[in-house]
Amino acid sequence: MDMIIAGLLDSLSPTSLMFVFTGVLIGVLIGAIPGINGPMAIALFIPVTYYMSALTAIGFLVGLNKGAFFGGAVSAVLLRTPGTPEAAATSWDGYPLTQQGKGEKALRMALYSSVAGDFISTVVLIAIAAPLAAIALFMGPAEIFALISLALTVIAGIGTNSICRGLMAAGFGILIGLVGTEPVTALPRLTFDIYQLGGGLSLIPLAIGLLAFSEILLQLEKFTVKGGGKHKIHEPSPKLEDRMLTLKEFFASTKTLLRGSLIGIGVGAMPGLGAPVASFMSYDQAMKRSKHKEEFGKGRLEGIGASESANSAVVASSMIPLFVLGIPGNLAVAMLMGAFMIHGMQPGPLMFQENAQLMYGIYGSLLIASLFLLIIGKFGLRYFCKAVNIPAMILYPIVVFTCIMGSYLGQSSMFDVGVMLAFGFIGYFMRKFDYSYVAFLIGFILAPEWERALQQVVIISEFDTYMFFQRPVAMLLMALTFFVIARTFWVGISANRKKKLEQESASEQAKNG
Amino acid sequence: MTRIKRDSIAYLVIVGFCVLMLVWGIPTYTPDYPGYGASPALVPNVSVGVILFMACLSLLRIGIAAFMNKPIPDEESSFPEDMEEGAGFTQIGRVKLQHLASTMIPCVLLVVAIEYIAYIFVSFVFLMIFQYVIGNRNWGQSILVSVILTATLYIVMRYGFGVPVPGPQLF
Repeated sequence: MDMIIAGLLDSLSPTSLMFVFTGVLIGVLIGAIPGINGPMAIALFIPVTYYMSALTAIGFLVGLNKGAFFGGAVSAVLLRTPGTPEAAATSWDGYPLTQQGKGEKALRMALYSSVAGDFISTVVLIAIAAPLAAIALFMGPAEIFALISLALTVIAGIGTNSICRGLMAAGFGILIGLVGTEPVTALPRLTFDIYQLGGGLSLIPLAIGLLAFSEILLQLEKFTVKGGGKHKIHEPSPKLEDRMLTLKEFFASTKTLLRGSLIGIGVGAMPGLGAPVASFMSYDQAMKRSKHKEEFGKGRLEGIGASESANSAVVASSMIPLFVLGIPGNLAVAMLMGAFMIHGMQPGPLMFQENAQLMYGIYGSLLIASLFLLIIGKFGLRYFCKAVNIPAMILYPIVVFTCIMGSYLGQSSMFDVGVMLAFGFIGYFMRKFDYSYVAFLIGFILAPEWERALQQVVIISEFDTYMFFQRPVAMLLMALTFFVIARTFWVGISANRKKKLEQESASEQAKNG
Repeated sequence: MTRIKRDSIAYLVIVGFCVLMLVWGIPTYTPDYPGYGASPALVPNVSVGVILFMACLSLLRIGIAAFMNKPIPDEESSFPEDMEEGAGFTQIGRVKLQHLASTMIPCVLLVVAIEYIAYIFVSFVFLMIFQYVIGNRNWGQSILVSVILTATLYIVMRYGFGVPVPGPQLF
């Protein structure tokens, strides 16, 4: 109990409050800019947190992530250009409202739904993470090895149309993650006699390159090769009732918000699915169960509530696998995992024993970030709307120079800037050729833990390959891993067959007339 | 270029990389087996093996389809709206490669030059060149952005974090 009170008091310290507030503020601003999302913002701002305490740093980054999730809705509603993929469903009903001059009302609905989804999800995280972590402590190295194998397989399917390319990306990430000092012999491995690689590749320059720099290369390409267009701004209605959201309008969507939050919590807790899935699922359910199906897509507030409550609920619930098992379920959480490691903590069930006070401090910061999101969103909404119009000519040099200096900041090394550029270049081709950079990054982060678990299994079992068969949970997880691979291949083959049949029947129909 | 040709070339490059790693990279740059635990080469070999297996599997699939004269249905492109005329499924035509080079080269030059020439001067020049490359011809705006950004990051790094800026300070 003392730990809980001490942790919560830590989160209420002026420094912590100030940085959580700053994180949410920057997050909303950044999220509102089309093309910049939460994980990218975290990658850019992690170097700033090197000089903060662990609680302040995590609070700041969590605030940034929460803010960016809501910020994505601003450009989705006002421009129909979702700042983040999960805000796409928000634009379906948000933009029609903007066209009717009710953009501010739509944004208020998005804000309150985001805060509701986020708050419910945070409470669930607080309630179940510690008890689940206590159960997870019974897992040995065999289970951990099997679990990471399963997570890597599931995650390999994210961000690509092909499981083969996803597994290749994950394998490449693991290979890059093994560069540095080998844990058993303490001798350099795969360093190619480059002394800077002795300690391994740093996560931050690699993540900045892969997430931010490669994205900017693609956006610059669109902007300069295809030409950047100006956004059409719709004039807001002068009527107050068109701009403000009444309590009646908000509470009319209570069921949808609760359902959306639960969908978000469920989806977020499962590694690999992510906020866009939650958002689309919730929207679909809201539409199916509504008495006014025909109004969806034409500016129904319930549609915005469904999408925003679900995608914001993912923010906190996606930390459940991180806190319970030490496995990041999506990119934003992978970046947060990196931040934990930078501050000397290994995410996983042991955190509740080794850093209990800090964990409760983080819980406090998560709740405070929800409150700040409400306050900042309520009073700053009109100003954030202006962020969507920051000229690209000013924005891109700022982001590129921040990428360069952010990579340098960690170890004061220009070698890291080179690493950032190299992985920006690799990331550009990975995105173009449909290789999952998400699987790559998560493979990179999990590689050392995966190898450590394998080494422990081998040492404990003295090369007994039947060890997995003696551990039912490990065996079940390994079986699930193979099942996921086989199922993904089967689904891919079936989809190809179906497509081919459709193409054949279409060509036959064309021939017949 | 078709998607299949693009993917085949990419898979062949990956197979080549894997073979190089298995034959030379991993054996040369991995410590010897210490006599306990798993070999330090085990996990690298497994990860390269997975990549190689997947690349060969994909090549085999393309090869069988070509041999049986069966077209593989087109997968959806990641950036369908972004395709340049003539670039096909590579999504990278000559214009885009030129653009990539023009963006990357100033960044690489910055990394090299900053070790020898003062941060403030190099950063200012880099930002001016970068803005020119992305098409900003408003010199007043370019100078303003370059000066403010260089000065802000200098102040933040030096006085905010106490980190020395890269290379010589002023000259």
